[in-house]
Amino acid sequence: MKQIGWNWLGVVPFFAFALLFLVLPTMNIVIGAFQNPQGEFTLRNLAGLSSPRIVDSFAISIKVSLATAILGCLIGFAMAAAVVMGGLPGWVKAPLMTFSGVASNFAGVPLAFAFIATLGRIGLVTMLLRQWFGINIYAMGFNLLSFWGLTLTYLFFQIPLMILIITPALEGLKREWREAAEVLGASTGQYWRMVALPILFPSLLGTFALLFANSFGAVATAYALTGSSLSIVPIMLFAQIRGDVLQDPHLGYAMAFGMIVVTGLANLAYVIMRSRAERWMR
Amino acid sequence: MSFLVLDHLRKSFGPTRVVDDFSLSVDKGEFISFLGPSGCGKTTVLRMVAGFEAPSDGRILIDGQDVTRLRPNQRQIGMVFQAYALFPNLTVAGNVGFGLRVAGVPRAARADRVAEMLALIGLPDLGGRYPWQLSGGQQQRVALARALAPSPRVLLLDEPLSALDAKIRLSLRNQIRDIQQQLGITTIFVTHDQEEALSISDRIVVMHRGIADQTGTPSDIYNHPATGFVAGFVGTLNRFSAEVVDPVAGHVRVEGADIALGRLLPPGRVTLAARPESLKVAPEGIPARITGVEFLGSVHRLRARAGGAELVLDRFNAPGEALPRPGDHVRISAAPAAWLVLPE
Amino acid sequence: MKRFWSWAAIAFGAIYFLLPLIGTIEFSLRMRRGEYSLDAYASVLADPNFRATFGYSVVMALLTILLGVLIVVPTAYWVRLRLPRLRPVIEFITLLPLVIPAIVVVFGYIRLYNTSSVLPLTGTATGTNILLLCGYAMLALPYMYRAVDTGLSTLDVRALTEAAQSLGAGWVGIIGRLILPNVLGAVMSGAFLSFAIVIGEFTMAALLNRPAFGPYMQLLGANRAYEPAALAVIAFGVTWGCMGLLQLISRLLGVRKTAT
Repeated sequence: MKQIGWNWLGVVPFFAFALLFLVLPTMNIVIGAFQNPQGEFTLRNLAGLSSPRIVDSFAISIKVSLATAILGCLIGFAMAAAVVMGGLPGWVKAPLMTFSGVASNFAGVPLAFAFIATLGRIGLVTMLLRQWFGINIYAMGFNLLSFWGLTLTYLFFQIPLMILIITPALEGLKREWREAAEVLGASTGQYWRMVALPILFPSLLGTFALLFANSFGAVATAYALTGSSLSIVPIMLFAQIRGDVLQDPHLGYAMAFGMIVVTGLANLAYVIMRSRAERWMR
Repeated sequence: MSFLVLDHLRKSFGPTRVVDDFSLSVDKGEFISFLGPSGCGKTTVLRMVAGFEAPSDGRILIDGQDVTRLRPNQRQIGMVFQAYALFPNLTVAGNVGFGLRVAGVPRAARADRVAEMLALIGLPDLGGRYPWQLSGGQQQRVALARALAPSPRVLLLDEPLSALDAKIRLSLRNQIRDIQQQLGITTIFVTHDQEEALSISDRIVVMHRGIADQTGTPSDIYNHPATGFVAGFVGTLNRFSAEVVDPVAGHVRVEGADIALGRLLPPGRVTLAARPESLKVAPEGIPARITGVEFLGSVHRLRARAGGAELVLDRFNAPGEALPRPGDHVRISAAPAAWLVLPE
Repeated sequence: MKRFWSWAAIAFGAIYFLLPLIGTIEFSLRMRRGEYSLDAYASVLADPNFRATFGYSVVMALLTILLGVLIVVPTAYWVRLRLPRLRPVIEFITLLPLVIPAIVVVFGYIRLYNTSSVLPLTGTATGTNILLLCGYAMLALPYMYRAVDTGLSTLDVRALTEAAQSLGAGWVGIIGRLILPNVLGAVMSGAFLSFAIVIGEFTMAALLNRPAFGPYMQLLGANRAYEPAALAVIAFGVTWGCMGLLQLISRLLGVRKTAT
């Protein structure tokens, strides 16, 4: 019994750190979301989330996250599939994977600068389109500081993340499955619909959830890109922490709590799907 | 007219020729084994029959129809793979019914056929399980049922037993043969295990470097190997270098001992060979020294050395009979008909 | 046909990923009217604030790595040696920073460690620096722990420990002189990832009001035209450098592993 007591001591620093700088701060926010300024229990803060401004910010945040997750999944899948099974020469894969590793970590303020320099009002692509083809994308209603601009920018780290995660899954599809389906009379379409996609489905859905959470919690890129002109949840929370723009600190906690719930649910989906995928791949 | 005809098949991958001028006619209901070491081209021939590889030259006919240019999904062939290759997302019943489902067979008819197939392989209650819940042997039986469910014209088995452990391998081997006989389905079985091929085939094709060295019944292949490779690959063989003394009367000399074979021989030197069970310790014959005695249950295996040759002799276990001991000097011989004569 | 679509997908991706990089480089050279120049870079490098904030973030990144190693290596080692049943719990905790948005955690810091709390870290500059450092170590936790745990899985921790103990080594000696050198490659790969994350981190530094590189970049972006592009190129270069070193380390390590 004494032995067990000693063993526990070895992990005390870790748990103390996690408690002080991860668990307690988060709990503090969660509890704050259910308290009024006098420290009494209340559900009024959560009810306050239903104000149009906050509902709008959640709606647009979820919209951006959905759009970047869906497009990131589709494009990343297409590129990974092209490399794994598209009959491309072998040298394509290594640079793509290396680049994906870098680009998936290239988020934040510099990414926003890169897109401003490229697709901003005097960015390279904007200028070239105007000079070469006479197309003025800003006159056509495009704006980098908008829903689509943000989506386009986020895709720069979402697509590589998808490629990094889905490539091993695609490589896990055995050649014999395809051949077995073929020899049993299945067309290529039937093979994909009845075998390959169902096998990949947990990985696809799981990665989708991960991309969603990844985009939902991102602050820096959006803030550097749009300032506070696009009121997505993290931007609004950022402004709230800085200057209490909601004029109710506890409403801010409720908003933060809402963020945890959304990303938590998305990650829960990821974990569940992941374990299913691993069971199949054995 | 033969049911399955492989007509002068060739296959090259770039400059390497993997299969060279391979011809074979298979009767309906026949069980043929392709036997050979890895890389001999046996799997490539099988994959050409299935349609996964296009022959560089030659034709494949099934039941009179030229299928050489047909895609695999148009050939009505059943195939079992070495690594089972069951679809992990489908249940056992879903796997077995897959071929019928893509063919558009109605659900009820499909269920009947699946039940029939599961009964055939002796797993009637496992329809609801997923592949990862089954043992290797069970998975391979399900793979067999899946291949057979759409009533294919030909069944192809690509080393189906290699991934299994010895005991299951033996029982599944017998089960495959039973089911094949019961259904009377034309079958090609690829293996590198000579015992497997000998035990279940109607005929065996021994392949070597892309060429069919010999095609024949198991006893043909074992008792009358056509080439030195076949003789050496199928079963254990003791070889002696022999000098032909009298080509017409069939006399040879090995290690100073005269042996009468009683058949016409080529002049010069030949290789004389005999199976372990054919060689006997005898009063007359090739001088040898016993180097070891192993007891294997049904047989005693004697190891001996004669000149430069290491020999193996199998002797049925007969209790009470005296055995030579290591170090004994003996003479070794075989019945004249048991000697194989191979070109030097 | 299939190959055509494959090339099309790769080409589409290449254009999408290369254009912003080319655009940024081009933009960063455009500061002098009518010709390309390195003026933007000169302007950035000459800015004392750039040097101060970049230096601050580099020091923070290095301290983060140090703190991360001090927390993760002994814990991962101890759990493998003595408390294997605790591994799922530890793993779960190390994944939490990926689930809880950093902005929420730092919000919690501000509330929990304000001037009227038991531990008023935000009251002094040093205190806030420590708080930010702990926050960064928390952000780096998932990457650091995964890397070190993978590294440890290639060792027979128990046998190594018993051998060292039989030679009279103490716990500090075992971890510092035996375990750490053996997982150095793994630690390095975790360290480079941590460095790449911390060097440009914005949210935490901005909300804790520290003079770090991330907020500096944001501020410059709001007030200048060409310098931000130059900064983006520099930041991208740093990220590439970290990832390149990471690949190099893992490759060198792979070579060593196959050689022995």
